[in-house]
Amino acid sequence: MLRKKVCLVGYGSTEYSRKSDRPLLSYYAEAMQNAMAQTGLTKKEINGFSMVTQASPDYSPYVAEQLGLELDWVLNGDCGGAGAVCAIRRAADAIEAGYLDVAFIVAGNAFDKNVSHQRVLEYQRANYVDVYGYGGPNTLFALVQRRHMEEYGTTLEQIGKIAVSQRFNAGPNPQALLRTPMTIEDYLNSRLISDPIRLFDCVMPCSGGECVVVASEERAKQITDKPIYLVTDAEKIGFQASNMLPDKTVTGMSVVGEHLFSEMSRDNIDLLAIYDDYPIAVMMQLEDLGYCAKGQGGPFVDDHDLTFAGDFPVNTGGGEISVGQAGLAGGMLHVVEALRQLRGEAGERQVNAAQTALVTGIGWLSYARNLNTTAALILERRS
Amino acid sequence: MAGKSLPAVNEIDREFWEGAAKGELRLQRCRACGKMQFFPRIACTDCLSGDLEWVPVSGKGKVHTFSLCRVPRNRAFMDEVPIYVAEVELDEGVRMVTRIVGDDRDQVTLGAPVTVTFMETEDPDIKLPVFELA
Repeated sequence: MLRKKVCLVGYGSTEYSRKSDRPLLSYYAEAMQNAMAQTGLTKKEINGFSMVTQASPDYSPYVAEQLGLELDWVLNGDCGGAGAVCAIRRAADAIEAGYLDVAFIVAGNAFDKNVSHQRVLEYQRANYVDVYGYGGPNTLFALVQRRHMEEYGTTLEQIGKIAVSQRFNAGPNPQALLRTPMTIEDYLNSRLISDPIRLFDCVMPCSGGECVVVASEERAKQITDKPIYLVTDAEKIGFQASNMLPDKTVTGMSVVGEHLFSEMSRDNIDLLAIYDDYPIAVMMQLEDLGYCAKGQGGPFVDDHDLTFAGDFPVNTGGGEISVGQAGLAGGMLHVVEALRQLRGEAGERQVNAAQTALVTGIGWLSYARNLNTTAALILERRS
Repeated sequence: MAGKSLPAVNEIDREFWEGAAKGELRLQRCRACGKMQFFPRIACTDCLSGDLEWVPVSGKGKVHTFSLCRVPRNRAFMDEVPIYVAEVELDEGVRMVTRIVGDDRDQVTLGAPVTVTFMETEDPDIKLPVFELA
């Protein structure tokens, strides 16, 4: 379905840190403040608010009280790593329905000793996975990656090229925590964490926050001369959920892609912001989105230059694996990078004449499958 | 220091763990539609019927995928690394996350036939179903 009159009008980021004892709420406040400075919006003009979160005390009404927001619409964004994209979709629905005209979507993470932010493991993860001594998401993605490598002949060099390209992209990004150039040898020689997943496949948890501002077209035109339109968006939750023998190498993004690209040709996308908790996740999404056939992600990566200067720019700011993953702001990071590119604010890593971007979110690793949540949206600059 | 992770046995999955303690692998089967499922749930994932029964299964299957975990989430498992975490496809048509054990576990390959065995834990009442190369 095509969206009619919904725009993304601004964003606010904080700096990222591996070691900081700053309070969690301060990241939310700073990300919002930066978004207010960019858009010129005052707090009174924000009438919608969504915290993307999976645990208390981040409930939207709680944070609203802490930060003094008076609102007509709130949402607890769920769906894990797909939460940012899903929250933008929900806000767009509510804006189209006329409930509000300016929504702030916020996410972040901090090493805040006063906040018990530990997520309760789902019962099946606790009773049927953790008891075996697994390594968290690293092992769950290792189980997926081995299938991909064995079924399709995908090589470590092909998977590693994604990590190496993204590190190159992080070079000119001041927000990125990992900017030192990396070679494919560095990738291959990084230590094994949960075979075949190695250190440079993994994201680095950090503190930080992100905010994205969604608005009606009418308000967007008052707020900015660079409104970025939400063209179309879709999600698939619980793909293969009742299948006891699911295909581990196919994700719900295959369905999401069909929806998106029934509205617009995938060849018209100028840059891709693909949720990258692991390089193999990026490869599988490229396949599922139809950029190549299932299992051909390896040769596809071989044939393309994934850097911001290349023919197929992916994660032009370095992605989560180079910037760092500030909790569920990891999903927001991809939206913000797409906005920077489409607004022409990406500095040295600017993709030439970027007009359209695809942003994905994935999350919630499910028992013996892969991703329980998948969502994506297409953004466009219209002059 | 917390010990190795153990299941928090609940009303949904008590029969699974009681079976495992006796050396019997059990799965849930829906009496209404016949579907076999794992992990244990409160309702059938095909027809949503709550009329589920527990049936003993062969304990035979083949390896669908595996990983050598060197950094367990719960560091209490560090004395066992690398841990051969695996998914096994049972002959009855469900997949389980488990572990491959046995002296020849480094010979594991995708598709390798395996048989269930039960591993002692720090709790004398809890045994974990794990698999050996057949």
